Amino acid sequence: MSIFKKVFLFLLIAFVGIQFMPTTRNQSNEVLESDFTKTFNTPNNIQQLIGKPCYDCHSNNTKYPWYHKIQPVSWLLENHIKEGKKELNFSEFGTYSKRKQKSKLKSIISQIEENKMPLSTYTLIHKDAKLSESDKELLTKWLTQLRDSLQ
Amino acid sequence: MKKSIYAIAFAVLFLSACKNDQKQAESNDVQSKEMQEGNNMDADTQKSGLTTAIIDGYLVLKNALVNEDSKKAAEGGKMMLAAFSNFDMAKLTDSQHKKYMEIAESAKEHTEHIVKNPIEHQREHFEALSIDINDLIALVGTEKTLYQDFCPMASNNKGAIWLSETEEINNPYFGNKMLKCGSIQKQLN
Repeated sequence: MSIFKKVFLFLLIAFVGIQFMPTTRNQSNEVLESDFTKTFNTPNNIQQLIGKPCYDCHSNNTKYPWYHKIQPVSWLLENHIKEGKKELNFSEFGTYSKRKQKSKLKSIISQIEENKMPLSTYTLIHKDAKLSESDKELLTKWLTQLRDSLQ
Repeated sequence: MKKSIYAIAFAVLFLSACKNDQKQAESNDVQSKEMQEGNNMDADTQKSGLTTAIIDGYLVLKNALVNEDSKKAAEGGKMMLAAFSNFDMAKLTDSQHKKYMEIAESAKEHTEHIVKNPIEHQREHFEALSIDINDLIALVGTEKTLYQDFCPMASNNKGAIWLSETEEINNPYFGNKMLKCGSIQKQLN
């Protein structure tokens, strides 16, 4: 057997092997009372703008793509979501202290303005999650008003 | 020549002494006024050594940002994180406790970002961190003399505060780009 074949066989076995590694899914049908949209009674258009690009990694409910069950994609997504939720979880926004809510809102606004979020790798795959310039303006304006209203 | 140098030195000394006296007189005035009104407890910063280690870390961070030194800023951040975990919460009153937890949670989160990020991002979090530390001092107190400074151009022209141990303005938000931008809003202690 040539070296090439050996390497290929090894990779194939490894690929099949990792398919059996368990991962946890980030899914929930329940919209918590502490959800951002309930806490602040967000209008529909804002809910849409936040929902699509943010909630996959920053809430308790991810809308998974079809290939999410294939390793190592599952792992990557799992880690990504874990990190994302640690930083900001829209499902639990209402449980944050006012201080934290205000500082999170500030970070959300600056991340959107500086085009750091949603991640370009995410919008590359989820084309419909990309925020247009007018979306961004509408969203950051609304978020700024919200932030200023929290005292 | 020598004489004139002495003369100038004397004049400067004399003038600065006057200035200090005046300030002292002013602050005495304010103090006695507050005492008359009976609300000096709220208005004055309490003397407390509890926050010293946290503030020491904050000042290292602040001075590193003034000097555009991101690495040193991260060190200051680490000092702050250590100080927060060593903070003696048993010394707080019940009423202080809840507010302290909120402030500490927020401050630690900002500090963690400061520890692992480049300077622009450090400055963004330093802005919110300064508010947290300012509130912490209002809540618990400090034994240090500090100045609350304000730069109207920071935070996209919304303005932002920081705390300093010196009367001289050295701007941590702009560093050497606009080192002298800002003014003292308040003296603590």
